[in-house]
Amino acid sequence: MNANTGLSNELAFAQRDALMLRAREIEKTFTLHSQGGVRIAALAGVSLDVERGECVVLSGASGAGKSTLLRCMYGNYLTTSGTIAIRDDSVAARHVTLSHATPHEVIRLRRTTMGYVSQFLRAIPRVASIDLVSEPLISRGVDEDEARSRAASLLESLNVPRRLWGLAPATFSGGEQQRVNIARGLIAEHPLLLLDEPTASLDAENRQVVANLVVAARERGAAIVGIFHDEDTRDRVATRVIRLETPVAQTTTNMEYLQAC
Amino acid sequence: MMMASSNTPLLRARGLSKLYNGRGGCIGVDLDVYPGEVLCIVGESGSGKSTLLNALALRSPVNSGSLDYRTSEGEVLNLLTLSEQRRRLLSRTDWGFVHQNARDGLRSGVSAGANIGEPLMAVGARHYGRLRDAASDWMTRVELDPKRIDELPGAFSGGMQQRLQIARNLVTQPRLVFMDEPTAGLDVSVQARLLDLLRSLTSKLHLAAVIVTHDIGVARLLAHRLMVMKDGRVVESGLTDQVLDDPQHPYTQTLVASVLPA
Repeated sequence: MNANTGLSNELAFAQRDALMLRAREIEKTFTLHSQGGVRIAALAGVSLDVERGECVVLSGASGAGKSTLLRCMYGNYLTTSGTIAIRDDSVAARHVTLSHATPHEVIRLRRTTMGYVSQFLRAIPRVASIDLVSEPLISRGVDEDEARSRAASLLESLNVPRRLWGLAPATFSGGEQQRVNIARGLIAEHPLLLLDEPTASLDAENRQVVANLVVAARERGAAIVGIFHDEDTRDRVATRVIRLETPVAQTTTNMEYLQAC
Repeated sequence: MMMASSNTPLLRARGLSKLYNGRGGCIGVDLDVYPGEVLCIVGESGSGKSTLLNALALRSPVNSGSLDYRTSEGEVLNLLTLSEQRRRLLSRTDWGFVHQNARDGLRSGVSAGANIGEPLMAVGARHYGRLRDAASDWMTRVELDPKRIDELPGAFSGGMQQRLQIARNLVTQPRLVFMDEPTAGLDVSVQARLLDLLRSLTSKLHLAAVIVTHDIGVARLLAHRLMVMKDGRVVESGLTDQVLDDPQHPYTQTLVASVLPA
């Protein structure tokens, strides 16, 4: 782990210019009200600092909460307890704590700071691939032609056939959809990247392309947290591997509910 | 999606209640709408979402609470004590209201072009040629054939009437638009095209919108933020993808679980 882990968030973000993300004692428990209030513990006290130029790979068995942690970091899931702070030099404290952030602050951080590549593409329907990929740049104020030409070259390097660029990805193969997804996630060169198995549905050649892009982002100074099941890719991109353990007593079941079933 | 640069809400409600015979309606609603933001209010029939929308748009009186609107000059108006004249001016210049039923928002006895031109005349436009140009331009922007400018609304299909109603509402360049189930009752394919249009218009025009819908898919596609209503109260609110992917309230969980995966 990094030095100075005991510092307060204020001091840590003020003193460590490279610090991009700081998670402390993250717990996440899902309560399924429609199923008798079953509680599923997904994360039980994860702490982690991530700096620029680092690629932290999350490992651990299925159910250890790797994707859940990434979603918490993106503000897509709420944490049950603990804090996740993201660098934001536009505010006096130089960071925003997600659990206290307003939706507007999270939207702003997603535009300026955090990029996320999900396991599966969940894009706005009926929008052409090239427009999906250029949109994050346009929303950051980049000129539309410039954005489209950068989108084109990224799609090109990801081997997405040119004939598909004008089409919405709904009918594409899993691998093609995933490469559109990756292009959309990487194009804005966000200083913090959260990558949830971006290479899962790709062949060896395209895994290699994605690994190169991730390494390039890291060398550019992005802080990266990712899940990569493929060992070659992991070895190539990781600067650090963190193992998550499946929380003990993962599920507490309401006995009355079971008896009622 | 583009977000507002401004951090001050356009519309702010606190403790807003509207009761029918002492019950129902909406109870104690706090709500902020920011410039350029799309806020969806979701819930089932009878949850109070349309009651809330009508209260916000000053279409029906409220029982208690406060409601403020910030004008483009930065003046904050207390809407509940505003004179009837000021209210009417506001709803002509600054606001739009899109009804679920296009018939409720259009005048059936005048042409498509007149339906679009009328709101401009209400704020002082008189030049016939310019009115007609504006109407024709807006027909194109909502993907209607401008050659049909002289036809009556009844000659258009349901989806086209809804586009016409949207054009009539946006021609005055409002800052805030209220919409009550704008895509309900349309065929699925027509719905999809209308949603695409609404999505691109709200983002291009940097329009703030409060949209009432029972359709989670509509909310996911259009909204920056969601409010979930049940029995007249807001039970959960937040960032759209967070509320839908990690719903906290039992009712929201049921609502999300009942949607077929895309």
